[in-house]
Amino acid sequence: MSILQDLKNTVRSKSIHVCYVNVGSCNGCDIEILACLAPRYDIEQYGIYVHNNPREADVLLITGAFSPQWEDKLMGLWEKIPEPKVAVAIGNCPISGCVFNREGSYLDPPVRKHIPIAAEIPGCPPRPTEIIQTILTLAPVIFRDYEGGAS
Amino acid sequence: MKRTVDVSLPIGPVHPVFKEPCRIKCETRGEYVLNAEIELGYVKKGIERIMRGRPWQEVMFLAERVCGICSVIHNMVFIEGMELIAETALPDRAAYLRVIVNELDRIQSHVLANYSYCYTIEHETLAMYLLNLRETAMDALERITGARVTCAYIIPGGVRFDLSDADARYLREAVDTIDRELNRFVHMFTTGSLIALRSKEIGILTRDEAIEAHAVGPTARASGIAHDCRLDHPTYRRLDFSPVVYTEGDNYARIMVRFDEIFQSTELIRRCLDRMEPGIIRGGSEVIAGTSRWVGEAPRGELTYQITTDEFGRVTDIGIRTPSIMNIEACVHYMLIGVLSAADVTSTYISSDPCIACNER
Repeated sequence: MSILQDLKNTVRSKSIHVCYVNVGSCNGCDIEILACLAPRYDIEQYGIYVHNNPREADVLLITGAFSPQWEDKLMGLWEKIPEPKVAVAIGNCPISGCVFNREGSYLDPPVRKHIPIAAEIPGCPPRPTEIIQTILTLAPVIFRDYEGGAS
Repeated sequence: MKRTVDVSLPIGPVHPVFKEPCRIKCETRGEYVLNAEIELGYVKKGIERIMRGRPWQEVMFLAERVCGICSVIHNMVFIEGMELIAETALPDRAAYLRVIVNELDRIQSHVLANYSYCYTIEHETLAMYLLNLRETAMDALERITGARVTCAYIIPGGVRFDLSDADARYLREAVDTIDRELNRFVHMFTTGSLIALRSKEIGILTRDEAIEAHAVGPTARASGIAHDCRLDHPTYRRLDFSPVVYTEGDNYARIMVRFDEIFQSTELIRRCLDRMEPGIIRGGSEVIAGTSRWVGEAPRGELTYQITTDEFGRVTDIGIRTPSIMNIEACVHYMLIGVLSAADVTSTYISSDPCIACNER
């Protein structure tokens, strides 16, 4: 491993762009993601920027179990994100469907059936600190030794 | 109702300013909006279908998860509907504690709505100040109920935890902080000339249009309709409550209604703390078969639960009407028409504080 590669890995792990998508959540997890932006948690001090623009994102945060409207759209959104990319499932809904995984529901959890998920944060909803911690744990891994499509 | 329009400007479903997925299709000439249409259904979960046939103990938690932003009021209206069926008497202390938690929830929801608006008009400084202020309300909420968002604090016959003297002192300090800080921010908002340029006389909803679209909550009160469901609530009546009304009906008025309601909520919390006396926090009775209809004022407006139960306490039928759908209709069919630029489309939409998760359930 060259010094240049090490330097690249360090610098890239301090520049993470985040996009979030709600595929059938109750909003609880979405507002906890928003709370991460607050000066108290201050997600930007770690070099994580919440743009909500899939075309420049590295991390896709997914909240909510999977509603039928997203069947064709979520895959399209996932393909729009440039490589390298990871998806993080936030809350119980994308993992198991939480309270909505019952008879009569229109939802189709878990989300990992539809797109590959790198990490899952349980909780209904998880605390903002847990969300930040997960993104920070993933940050050094996403770009590690990435050389433009060679992987 | 489905109508084909010549779409020239679709916004959404994933958009930097939208917290939730929905799609606005605008028919425009240049940037002047001639007509607008909204496409919903991205977060349909079918909660009412899941609720049917389940015991109230489960439905209580499902009701809370209709909306994550205003979870307390959903819990409260469902439980008060159940209490109406069972004719449960509510201890005085529990009634005041419910109001305290509900008002804290309203504070954080209104601050979040105004944060979204400031963020949309790209006044990020004020937006971040507001988002930080929201944490004060969230801390108080967490200290009283034990959770930040879905707290399930209100239960049939009363509330889950009592408020200790230390908690009451903490709460008084918290509402004082909110009042003090918010005064500064409101001053920034009212005196900011660029904010006025982006907000005043944009997205106007007249009183007649608001009545036509059945607008509710702050959206209606900003258009001069003095209606607030808290006026009919037994506990709020004891607290001498009167609604905040503005008559301009533009984006600025809608944001100012929310700011003023936050001051009103802190005042209500103080009054509750003053009038609360030590006592039991939970009564009880048996759930019987019956039907009830109960209305409460959510942060976004009138919220109705129609509940039917059988003799075992199972909910056999339930109908929920949430406020956002009327406000979204009012926004798309009246406010957006005649908006002069595409940037004002999103800010006008956000100023009506739509909650998609609520209204699709």
